[in-house]
Amino acid sequence: MKKFLSLSLFVMLALFLAACGNDDSSGDDTTDGDETSGEWEPEQSIEIVAPAGAGGGWDTTARMAAQVFQEEGIISEDIGVVNKPGGGGAVGWAYIANQEGSNHNLFVSSSPILLVPLSGQSEYGHEDFTPIANVIADYGAFAVNADAPWEDLNELFEDMKEDPSSITVVGTSSPGSMDHIQFVRFAKAAGVDITKIKYVSAPDADGITQILNGSADVYSTGVAEVVEQAKAGNIRVLAVTSEERLDGDTLSDFPTAKEQGIDEVFINWRGFFGPPGMDQAAVDYYEAKFKELSDSDAFAEIRANYGWDEMYMGSEEYKQFLDEEKESLESILEELNLLGE
Amino acid sequence: MDGVLEGIVSGLQVAFSLQGILFVLIGVFIGTFIGMLPGLGPISAIAIMIPLTYGMDPALALVLMAGVYYGAVFGGSTSSILLNAPGISGTVATSFDGYPMAQQGKAGKALAVAAISSFAGGTISVILLMIFAPVLASVAISFGPPAYFALMLLGLTAIASLSEGSTLKALISAVVGFMIVTIGIDPQTGTARFTFGSANLLDGIDFLVIALGLFALAEVGYLIINRKQKGMKNAKEIGSLKLTKEDAKEMGGPISRHSILGFIIGILPGAGATIASFISYITEKRISKKPEEFGKGSVKGLAAPEVSNNAATSGAFVPLLSLGIPGSGTTAVMLGALLVMGIQPGPLLMTDRPEIFWGVIASMYIGNIFLLILNLPLIPYIARVLTIPRPLLISMVIMFSVIGVYSISFNTFDLYLLLAFGVIGFLMRMFAFPAPPFILAFILGGMMEQAFRQSMTISNGSLMIFIENKIALVLIILSLLSFLYPIYQSYRNKKRAAREVG
Repeated sequence: MKKFLSLSLFVMLALFLAACGNDDSSGDDTTDGDETSGEWEPEQSIEIVAPAGAGGGWDTTARMAAQVFQEEGIISEDIGVVNKPGGGGAVGWAYIANQEGSNHNLFVSSSPILLVPLSGQSEYGHEDFTPIANVIADYGAFAVNADAPWEDLNELFEDMKEDPSSITVVGTSSPGSMDHIQFVRFAKAAGVDITKIKYVSAPDADGITQILNGSADVYSTGVAEVVEQAKAGNIRVLAVTSEERLDGDTLSDFPTAKEQGIDEVFINWRGFFGPPGMDQAAVDYYEAKFKELSDSDAFAEIRANYGWDEMYMGSEEYKQFLDEEKESLESILEELNLLGE
Repeated sequence: MDGVLEGIVSGLQVAFSLQGILFVLIGVFIGTFIGMLPGLGPISAIAIMIPLTYGMDPALALVLMAGVYYGAVFGGSTSSILLNAPGISGTVATSFDGYPMAQQGKAGKALAVAAISSFAGGTISVILLMIFAPVLASVAISFGPPAYFALMLLGLTAIASLSEGSTLKALISAVVGFMIVTIGIDPQTGTARFTFGSANLLDGIDFLVIALGLFALAEVGYLIINRKQKGMKNAKEIGSLKLTKEDAKEMGGPISRHSILGFIIGILPGAGATIASFISYITEKRISKKPEEFGKGSVKGLAAPEVSNNAATSGAFVPLLSLGIPGSGTTAVMLGALLVMGIQPGPLLMTDRPEIFWGVIASMYIGNIFLLILNLPLIPYIARVLTIPRPLLISMVIMFSVIGVYSISFNTFDLYLLLAFGVIGFLMRMFAFPAPPFILAFILGGMMEQAFRQSMTISNGSLMIFIENKIALVLIILSLLSFLYPIYQSYRNKKRAAREVG
């Protein structure tokens, strides 16, 4: 019995350490009001929040960035990654919004920080935070079963124009989020009536299952999700959403929409933000560090492992990019009647 | 065929290498231990292991993580049986008969039945996995939305069999479970439902909050209220863990049936161990000659879900390894870890990296044997948890429940929810509303609703899709039979009773 107790205590302790080990830097309020100009250096450990659970894209990006920062000695202070899952990011954003003025709290985000507030499910959007730098991009893909009648994107869109009710599009996330919107953007550019597109969200059983067994027709997802199935010849990738063909075997076989005459691009960008009111000096510091990260060989290797593309943008450029992107997304959501209040 | 044989050999080399055996042992030990703690399941166990696997050989890393996974399912029955505190949804059905058995002073026997059933389910399913893995990929994708809907429907017919006493109360309980699962963002439209503007509710309520609230905390409340009762004394006894010949005979049927049934359901992405264990439980009750014993400490009622959830765990590796489709939250975490190591599981894994594919499968044989060796001798010690003075034991259950729930999202809001569901569960017990229909409706309801609405979108609103889909049609007919048979039975019994009287 004693053994059981002490062992269980040990396991608990281990769990606690694993859970809380990264938490020591949260809730700080040592803002440095006097350092309005000049050099700024972190004075304590830095916390990067991934507003999602462990194992997802945001979590991976945050952990990989933290790892390279430390291993390459780019930042000498400790960096902890903390998961704040919930509400498609909304719980994490609310947490960061409370760290106003802190220079030691960062978080990672991508298009949901534009889409979730637009659909009315988060009171905070990118305007409420301090964009620091974008680091990576990946792209979407549209795939169909290998036995499907469509050889390219145009054939699919032609059929959709004729009878939109005969074609089902499947994605992992809900309508108004990335998988849906990226498809809608291309369909719109091709002249399809986007209000009639049949979209199914398959959050539990993956969308790929529905393509393989023929329940749904088109899979709208990230490029990484389709590579293996395409290599095995189970599915056909009609188009990727990038500007130019991607590098890598199999990847380079996927045609872009652009080369098929549909002038549209969708980038799934991913970058880092700070809380509201971060000091300009701190923003400058992190901006330079993320540039160093993005240029490092170690991070290049990680990008290659995950099939990410390099896409660095500094704070100013990033902010402008986000504003434009949000405007374009807003008009699409409005047309689909998915805007929240 | 040569390629497959070579693959199996290279897999055996991985599994039987010194490192392979060592990592299996570490994996199952950590897994079974974390699984035993109430409130902690395989996802938390694997999440802890991930940093350890960075830089490891991918085959060994997967062997380790797989060990943690099925180890946690193996050990998960312990907290269900002893404390009525299931840490994973797959062991909820285990508590239906396991906990009453422990309360009757037969904790040792209950744990032994669970361990042997788990071992049998795990081992038989690994054999099935090894023989059929190459052809099973097509089974894994054979279910479209209409078939999933019908499968959930079949699971739901269990509500009638889970009700002790009032069927009406069981139905009310199930309806509340359905209502609770609709909270959060609706995936088909993207709108938030019943969140009252709170970001904390956007993702819905986690299974663990409900299970630990309705089962563990409600039980704690009940124990406190009834602490003076004499019957409580019994529960302190552990009893012999020797199984009689009859016990062994009782287990034979469930083992042979549910290792296959559980395995097949486990293969389906999204269905997994939970649904397998529930369906096994009701099937066993339906075909039993003594259904009235179920829910009161039946050996068959304990063995069936335990065989099934372990068999389903092996089954879950089919879509992961042969298609790269994670069938559950746990396998999704494992998929993420594999990606970090530069391995993309998919249809080509078996030919490109046979040592990974077959290495994991071969290691499961060893893992299951280790689990049995680890668990059986420990049973008397583990069961002694029950001899801990009540006040201390109750405090420990509360503490573990809080840790388990907090470790899902590190959000204190979930702790208030846990407390709320503890109160609800306690009131339900006081007024004799059964909790199992609630949790069953909660588990199945979400997937059922999604599958139904996906089907409706695909068919442009025509219900014919459920009849045109052959798998769905068969499952719906089975559901109808499963639903109508008890009604017919009670009608016949009444008639016979009337005739005897008349």
